[in-house]
Amino acid sequence: MNILKKIGVRFLFLAGIFLLANFIYKKTLWEQDLKSSDGKILTDFLNAQDSADVIYLGESSNFAVGVNDTCSKNISAFAADYFPSLVFKPVHKGAIHAGTYLALLKQLKNNVRVKTVVVTLNLRSFDADWINTKLETSLMRTDVLLQKYPPLINRFLLSLNAYNKKSEKQLEQDMLAQLRNDALCFPYNFKYKNAYDWNVGMANNVYLKGNKNKDSIDKINLACHYIKTYAFQINTQTNPRIKDFDKIVTLCKQKNLHLIFNLLAENVEYADSLAGKDLVFLIKQNRDLLMKRYNKDGIFVVDNLEAVRGKDYIDQNWTTEHYNQRGRILVAQNLANALKIIYPKEFEEIASNKEKEINAIKNRIKASDSWMNDIKRKAKENNLSIEEMIERDAKYVYETEIKFKIK
Amino acid sequence: MLFNSLHFLFFLPIVIALYYLLSFKYRPVLLFVASCYFYMALVPIYILILFGIILIDYSAAIFIEKAKGKSKKWILSVSIIVNVGILAFFKYFNFANENLTWVLQHLRMGNPISNLNILLPIGLSFHTFQSMAYTIEVYRGNQKAEKNLGYFANYVLFFPQMVAGPIERYARLGEQLKVNHTFNYENFSKGFALILFGFFTKVSIADNLAPVVDMVYKNPDQYNSISVFIGIIFFSFQIYADFFGYSLIAMGAAKLMGITLMENFKTPYLAKNIHDFWKRWHISLTTWFTDYLYIPLGGNRVKKARWALNIMIVFVISGLWHGAGWPFIIWGTLHGICYLAERIINKTFHINIISSNFFFNGFRTIKTFLLVSIIWIFFRAENIQKVKLIFNSLQHNQGTTFQTLKIDYKTWALLLFFILFDVILFNTRIDIWAGKKPVYVRWSIYAVLIFGLMAMGGVDNVPFIYFQF
Repeated sequence: MNILKKIGVRFLFLAGIFLLANFIYKKTLWEQDLKSSDGKILTDFLNAQDSADVIYLGESSNFAVGVNDTCSKNISAFAADYFPSLVFKPVHKGAIHAGTYLALLKQLKNNVRVKTVVVTLNLRSFDADWINTKLETSLMRTDVLLQKYPPLINRFLLSLNAYNKKSEKQLEQDMLAQLRNDALCFPYNFKYKNAYDWNVGMANNVYLKGNKNKDSIDKINLACHYIKTYAFQINTQTNPRIKDFDKIVTLCKQKNLHLIFNLLAENVEYADSLAGKDLVFLIKQNRDLLMKRYNKDGIFVVDNLEAVRGKDYIDQNWTTEHYNQRGRILVAQNLANALKIIYPKEFEEIASNKEKEINAIKNRIKASDSWMNDIKRKAKENNLSIEEMIERDAKYVYETEIKFKIK
Repeated sequence: MLFNSLHFLFFLPIVIALYYLLSFKYRPVLLFVASCYFYMALVPIYILILFGIILIDYSAAIFIEKAKGKSKKWILSVSIIVNVGILAFFKYFNFANENLTWVLQHLRMGNPISNLNILLPIGLSFHTFQSMAYTIEVYRGNQKAEKNLGYFANYVLFFPQMVAGPIERYARLGEQLKVNHTFNYENFSKGFALILFGFFTKVSIADNLAPVVDMVYKNPDQYNSISVFIGIIFFSFQIYADFFGYSLIAMGAAKLMGITLMENFKTPYLAKNIHDFWKRWHISLTTWFTDYLYIPLGGNRVKKARWALNIMIVFVISGLWHGAGWPFIIWGTLHGICYLAERIINKTFHINIISSNFFFNGFRTIKTFLLVSIIWIFFRAENIQKVKLIFNSLQHNQGTTFQTLKIDYKTWALLLFFILFDVILFNTRIDIWAGKKPVYVRWSIYAVLIFGLMAMGGVDNVPFIYFQF
């Protein structure tokens, strides 16, 4: 009995030490650890929940900017322009996905200001390549720090690598196995049974044989990449992203939050030209599955899949959701239309005197010799009259600059 | 299973609780199951190799005891050949084959044998050496053959030390496994202190130094000389903290069950010469080589030239034991050369090994540390080209061409704390030292260690370096 008492007292000592250590850690090293482990998003999120009406959870699509953009505004900021009386706060970081959004949303306190959460729904995040990326290790580390345990416990768990840590070699093997094992089902006969075979077929130039315009090595490499990225069919039973998005739906319902899934645009145009209609079929099938699944739950899913034209993607030689200014504006407009259903009174059309603004731009064009020279050249190239070309340019400038007060 | 894993933090308390809750007769079964589970958490199939070693050495010992005359020697030889054969197959086959390929290439011939694509079973060098020590002792008549297969299996498999030592002798560990240990607060307290300091040493020191060392050893040509030098010194502390940490956790886990394991380290970087270093570094391996290789070769009771050869044989084989590669062999050879050189210099210049002069001792300690650190380069670099690159990089001048390592203040602070602690603990051990302090001092130290471990641990969770041996 004496020994047990002795041990009990020591355990109390230990508990005291732990509480003190946790307090000191939280006050001193925690923020620094969050920053160095890319956990800054947690502090951003915690700050946003009491200062914003709408939180936009996203990855690099929200903040990627093209070199020719005249404005570096985020998608969320463009959408916010439609709701001047509401405060929008983006919480974003490159390559994060539903797992991280879920970890963040779990940190949401009760009785906070935020009433609506927009969550980015990235189709690529469901694929084998992303699920088995080495970036996943860094994200899982962030997720460990974001757990709802005391910060000191989270930090210790990070040291013990208390997550599913895999070596780069293992990740690659898992990715290849998934590409091989996940059968592709088409409602018609298709040459390849899985993405792995399709990729190999493309690499061997089987698919593009005879098409002299497309069989450059670079294009075939890119086509292979498109196949590895998009040739999959979401398995709702096993895909980890589905599980996380489902949990996000449940969590937001419990917390009485409006939830919008912002399904991002993918470069369907290039997928079509590089790998053909079969790949587009799969992309759209996955989009339809997600729309149906979450619409059924009463969640608004914004369908941006084909909203952005191929040339408006910043990365022309890779699959990303990085859009130029015009692309971001178009996605933001679709999102704003969805938010309008929740906030009809707060919604304000950005420019009420569109005609006047466009006429003003036309006058600016006509007054500028260099601009007019450019108009003449483009009119000739596009077989348009000069007036038609001025009209088109003016509308473009209005939609992508003036409307959003970009100088 | 890794010590520095969440898995182990759940595993250990459960095993300890069951150990004391179960009656004595079921403890061997518990230890056997727990040890198998511990090992199988890594590569399950390799447990069969261990079972093979256990069965062979268990039977060999019994036959040796019964045999008379030359047959005794024959049975021992078979046992040793099987143990060394297993080790050679898994550890040295590819190394030997690559060297054969090299030789054949120079003779303009092709090598028809391809390399094996297999993983080295974790800790194979440790349990083969531990098992061999037992049969040799039975052969020498110092140890009675164990008739109970369960006890012998637990001696080879004992989970706290099975994958990275200390390499125990049957007379010490095997006999302790047969004792009915009752719960004892002192053991509990000492075990806790050892495990806590072991975790701190591994997680907060070794794992924080590892990324810096990796950066330097990956691309030494990109860094200036000071940065490369820091990388070299950091590796000395990384490998020490890594292996010392493992040994402490092993000792602590065993202590919780009332079992005392031998000490593997005694502040090795405070050694005054290479001879002293090897009396303080990986003591269980040094004593193994002394008892089963150096002494059978004749030890120092032979002519000087033969004695020097014996020393070199032991160090070269020690290098080869650590790893199948030329850098490891050179590492061992250099230690042997330094060992002999020091002995010759001391004798020629009549240098008194035992001195009370603080500055002279300090100089010798720093000299030994620098020497050991330079030799560690061969241990850490993947190949001879990398070794050359590191030595070349040590001549890089400062300037914009080469990068300077950026090391955060936390890493420096932890390292300084560790060095200070090592100096304080000179020739003693954390549990013994802390046990003599007043309770408030002891618990203050524990508090600092807990904070350092939980709040400042490395985030890369580097596997124990000695696991690969």
